[in-house]
Amino acid sequence: MLYIHIPFCQTKCFYCAFNSFQGQTHLKDAYLQALIKQFQHTSKPHKFESIFIGGGTPSLMDISWYNQLFEVIYDYIDDKTEITIEANPNSADYEWIKQIRQLGVNRISFGVQSFNEEKLKFLGRSHSRKDAIRAISNAHKFFDNVNIDLMYSVAIDTKDLLKSDVLLANKLGVNHISAYSLTIEQSSRFNHTHKKDDEEEEIWMIKLLNSFLKQYEISNFGRICKHNLGYWQLKNYIGLGAGAVGFKNNKRFYPHKNIQKYINNPLFAHIEKLDHQDLLYEKVLLGLRSVAGFEWEILPKHAQEKTQELIKEGKLILKKGRVYSTDFLLADAISVYIL
Amino acid sequence: MQEKIRNFSIIAHIDHGKSTLADRLIQECGAVSDRELEAQMLDSMDIEKERGITIKAQSVRLEYNGHILNLIDTPGHVDFSYEVSKSLKSSEGALLVVDASQGVEAQTIANVYLALDNDLEIIPVINKIDLPSADVDRVANEIEETIGIDASGAILVSAKTGEGIKELLDAIVERVPAPQGNPNAPTKALIYDSWFDNYLGALALVRVFDGEIKKGQEILVMGTGKTHKVNELYYPHPKRKLPTNAIKTGEIGVVVLGLKNVADIRVGDTITDAKNPASEPADEFEEVKSFVFAGIYPIETDKFDDLRDALDKLKLNDSSITYEPETSKALGFGFRVGFLGMLHMEVVKERLEREFGLELIATAPSVTYKVITTDGEEIEVSNPSELPDVSKIEKILEPYVKATILVPDEFVGNIITFLNEKRGIQKKMDYVGDRVLLEYEIPMNEIVTDFYDKLKSTTKGYASFDYEMIGYKEGDLVKMDIRVAGEVVDALSIIVDKNKAEKKGRELIKVMKELIPRQLFEVAIQASVGNKIIARETVKALRKDVTAKCYGGDISRKRKLLEKQKQGKKRMKSIGKVNIPQEAFLSVLKID
Ligand SMILES: Nc1nc2c(ncn2[C@@H]2O[C@H](COP(=O)(O)OP(=O)(O)OP(=O)(O)O)[C@@H](O)[C@H]2O)c(=O)[nH]1
Ligand SMILES: C[S@@+](CC[C@H](N)C(=O)[O-])C[C@H]1O[C@@H](n2cnc3c(N)ncnc32)[C@H](O)[C@@H]1O
Ligand code: SF4
Ligand SMILES: [Mg+2]
Repeated sequence: MLYIHIPFCQTKCFYCAFNSFQGQTHLKDAYLQALIKQFQHTSKPHKFESIFIGGGTPSLMDISWYNQLFEVIYDYIDDKTEITIEANPNSADYEWIKQIRQLGVNRISFGVQSFNEEKLKFLGRSHSRKDAIRAISNAHKFFDNVNIDLMYSVAIDTKDLLKSDVLLANKLGVNHISAYSLTIEQSSRFNHTHKKDDEEEEIWMIKLLNSFLKQYEISNFGRICKHNLGYWQLKNYIGLGAGAVGFKNNKRFYPHKNIQKYINNPLFAHIEKLDHQDLLYEKVLLGLRSVAGFEWEILPKHAQEKTQELIKEGKLILKKGRVYSTDFLLADAISVYIL
Repeated sequence: MQEKIRNFSIIAHIDHGKSTLADRLIQECGAVSDRELEAQMLDSMDIEKERGITIKAQSVRLEYNGHILNLIDTPGHVDFSYEVSKSLKSSEGALLVVDASQGVEAQTIANVYLALDNDLEIIPVINKIDLPSADVDRVANEIEETIGIDASGAILVSAKTGEGIKELLDAIVERVPAPQGNPNAPTKALIYDSWFDNYLGALALVRVFDGEIKKGQEILVMGTGKTHKVNELYYPHPKRKLPTNAIKTGEIGVVVLGLKNVADIRVGDTITDAKNPASEPADEFEEVKSFVFAGIYPIETDKFDDLRDALDKLKLNDSSITYEPETSKALGFGFRVGFLGMLHMEVVKERLEREFGLELIATAPSVTYKVITTDGEEIEVSNPSELPDVSKIEKILEPYVKATILVPDEFVGNIITFLNEKRGIQKKMDYVGDRVLLEYEIPMNEIVTDFYDKLKSTTKGYASFDYEMIGYKEGDLVKMDIRVAGEVVDALSIIVDKNKAEKKGRELIKVMKELIPRQLFEVAIQASVGNKIIARETVKALRKDVTAKCYGGDISRKRKLLEKQKQGKKRMKSIGKVNIPQEAFLSVLKID
C-alpha cells in the first residue's frame, strides 16, 4: 500500500489539525521532486494493492503535476490497484475530475462535511452546498466509487440537519460515506464549545447511516475501501510526503512534517520501533473498531479469558480463529477490558 | 546559670500566628542571619510548608540579654494537641497567642486548660495588631471572660511587623520562672520528643530536671531498663546543630545515643545516670492514643511489603501512628492504621505517598467500638467489616467526645440543628460577647466524617471547634454494607446509627453512582443492612467509547491513549468485573 500526502490547502478549516498548510503552493514543484526522490529510494512491492492520495487538498495540484507523479508510479500499478484521491468540492472541477480518472485513479473522496451552508461556515470550509452537489454529480460521470466525508457532533447540529445531509448523500448516489464525530484537536482553532456532546444523537446518526450504507468501521460506511481496511489490518504501507507516516513490520517511519524541511531532506525519517506488546495493542484496537477483527492466537492467556467472558456476553464473536466485535462503538472500552 | 534559663511554649488556636511569632523571636535574638530567614522557619516538613500549618512541635535555644530562652512552637490543630501536652511538660511558661481580629477560639480554650493543668505561667499575647480588623479591647475582654485569666498584662504584638517583640522578650525574662531542680541530684531528664536521623540514628529531645547529661556518660533509660553511652549532645537550632559537652539542669537539648531503634527512647520515658540512678522517673505522661482508624492499601497489590517498610520508617518520626496488617476481599493486603484524627490521617497518607513513592487507597475512617457479645465477651472493633453477626451482639458501645464550639450568635440556630442531627447532647451554652460557647457530647463516629467542613460551611467559616474523648456509651448501631454487582465490598462497610442507615445508604450509593465510571456492563449498587436492601442505584452500561478517526498516521497516538486508559484502570480496584475508582472508598465522607 502507498499513501501520498499533499500538504497544501487553500484555507485552514477551524477544526483541522492535519499536516496541511495554506499559502505554500509555490513549493509544489520542489515538493513533487522530493516525493519522487523519496519514492525512488524506498523499497517497493511488485504491485501496490492500493494507493491513497490524501491531504491537505490533493485537488489543488493540477493534472500536469499528477502526470509527472504518475510517470514514476505507473510501473507499480495494475488494474486491480485501488487508487483513491481526496478532493475538495470547490477546487475539483469537471476537467480535473475527468482527467484524474483518465490517469488511472478509480476512487474519489470529497471532503463535504455537510450540505448545510451555516454548518459549512461554522466549520470554516471554503465550499458551498452547490459546490458539493456539483462536484459529486461530476464525479459520478466518471467514477463508480465516490465517497464523501461528513462530520457530526458539531455544536450547531440537530437531528434534522444531519438527517437531511444523509438523505441528500443517499439521493446523490454515493457508494461510501466516511462520517466523523468531531474531535477537538489541541492545535486547531476549535475548543470544546464547538462540540456537541450527545451520545444519544451520535448513536442515532450511526444507525441512520447504517440504514443506507453498511458500516464496516466506526466512521466508514458502504463499499469497503481496501486501503482503509489495510490500516485496520496493520498491513505494511509506504508513506510518501511531508509528515506521511509509513509502517513496515515493527517500525513506523515519520518524515519531516514541515514542507520545506521535507523538501530539503525527503529521505529523513524518525523511526519508532514497536515491541510485541505495542503490536498486540494495535491489532486488538484496530481489529475491534472495524470488520478486520484479529487472530485469537495473538492474545496472551489472561486476555483470552477476558475475551471468553465477552463472547459469553455476546459482545465479541469468535469465527474461524478470529475475534470480531459485535459493536464497534465499544472498541476502546473492550480493548482496555481484555488487555 | 540555672536562674537565667526560661523555658516556654507558644500555644494558640490554629493559624493565630505561633510559628510567625517564633520567627520574630528567633530573629530578634539574632539566632539566624538575615540571609537564613524564611517564613515559619520552624515548619520544616514539606507538608507543613505547603499547608501553612505546624504538625510537629519544634524547640529552639535562643540567647537574649544574658538569658537562655528555650522556645517550643506547638501546633494549633486539635489532632496534634498531644504535641502541645508534651511541650508543656518541659516548660515553665506559655505564651498564649490570640489573634487580635479573631479573638478567643476553641483551641485557645483547650490549650489554656492544658497549660493550667501544668501550673505554667501564662503570658497572654495579642497578635496581628497590624490588621485593620484588630480589636484589642474586645479580645482582651474575651480572654478574661472565657478563660478567666487577667489580660491586663497582655503583650500586644505583630509577628508580621515585629512590633512589640522586644517587650515580649522582656516579659518572658521577667515573668516566666526559672526552672527549679537540683543540679547535684542524680540525672533526671524527660524525653519529650524523639525522631530518626539518617546520619545520627535515633535522637532524643530532653528536658533535664535534675543533674546533667554529659558527653560520654553511661545513661539508663528507666522505662526500658537499658543502658547506653552518650555519643554527642547538641542544642536545638532551626538551621544547625549547636554541639555542647553537657546539658545542664533546666536546659533542653538533643541526646545522641547511636541507637537504631526509636523504641529504645520512647517519648515520655526518663533518662538517668546508669551508676547513680534517680529514685523515680520524671512526671510521666499518658501515651498518645489513636482515635481514628482506616484501612490503608497499596493500589498495586504487590506493594504490600513496601507499605510495611514505609510505615516502619514513618513511625520513627511519628510515634503516634499505630498499625497492624489486615486483609480485605476488595483491596487485598494492607494495614489498619490508627490516627490522632482526620487531619492526621490525611497527613500520614500524603507523607507515605510522597516520601515513599507509594500510591494508596484509604477506606472510610472508623472509630473503635466495643461490642458486648451474647457470650458476655467484650471485643474491640475498629474495622466495620469485622463487626460480629447481629445474632451474636448483645450491645454495642461507641466512643463519645466532649466538643467545644465557639460561634457568632447569629449562627447558633443553625449550629444547634446541625449538632442535633449529629446526635449531640447539649451540656452548656454561654454567651461570650456576641459569640456563643457551646459544649456538647457527641458520638465520635459523627465527627470522623466531614463534620468539620460542614460545621465551617454552616457558619460561613466562623465556628471553631475542639474535642476530647470522654468515654463510651451504648449506641443503637448497625452495620451497613455496600454491594456492587451483588457482591458486598467489605472495604465500604460502615457502622451507623440505626435511624440514619436508610438515609445514609441512599446518599452514599448516589455519590458512588457518580464516581463509578460506566463500564461494559450495567452495574447495580446497593446499600444493605443484614440481608435487607435499603437502597439501589444503577450505573448504566457504556454505549459508546471509541475515537472517531483513526488513519494510518494516527495509530501510535491511539495506542498510547489506550495504554494511558489502561494505566488509569490499573489504579482502580476491580470487584468482580467492575472497576471502582479510589475516591469511591472515601465517598462516605461526602455525605451528611
Ligand atoms: N497580618 C498579620 N498576619 C500574621 C501575623 N502573624 C501571623 N500572621 C499570618 O497568619 C497566618 C498563620 O500564621 P502561622 O504562624 O503559620 O500560624 P500558627 O499559629 O503557627 O498556625 P498552626 O501552626 O497551623 O497552628 C500566616 O499567613 C501568617 O503570615 C501578624 O502579626 N499579622
Ligand atoms: C484528512 S482530512 C483531508 C481531506 C480534505 N482535505 C478535506 O478536508 O476535504 C479527511 C477528513 O477528516 C475529517 N476530519 C478532519 N479533522 C477532523 C476533526 N478534527 N474531527 C473529525 N473529523 C475530522 C474531515 O471529515 C475530513 O474531510
Ligand atoms: S480539513 Fe481538509 S481542507 Fe480543511 S484544512 Fe484540513 S486538510 Fe485542509
Ligand atoms: Mg505553626
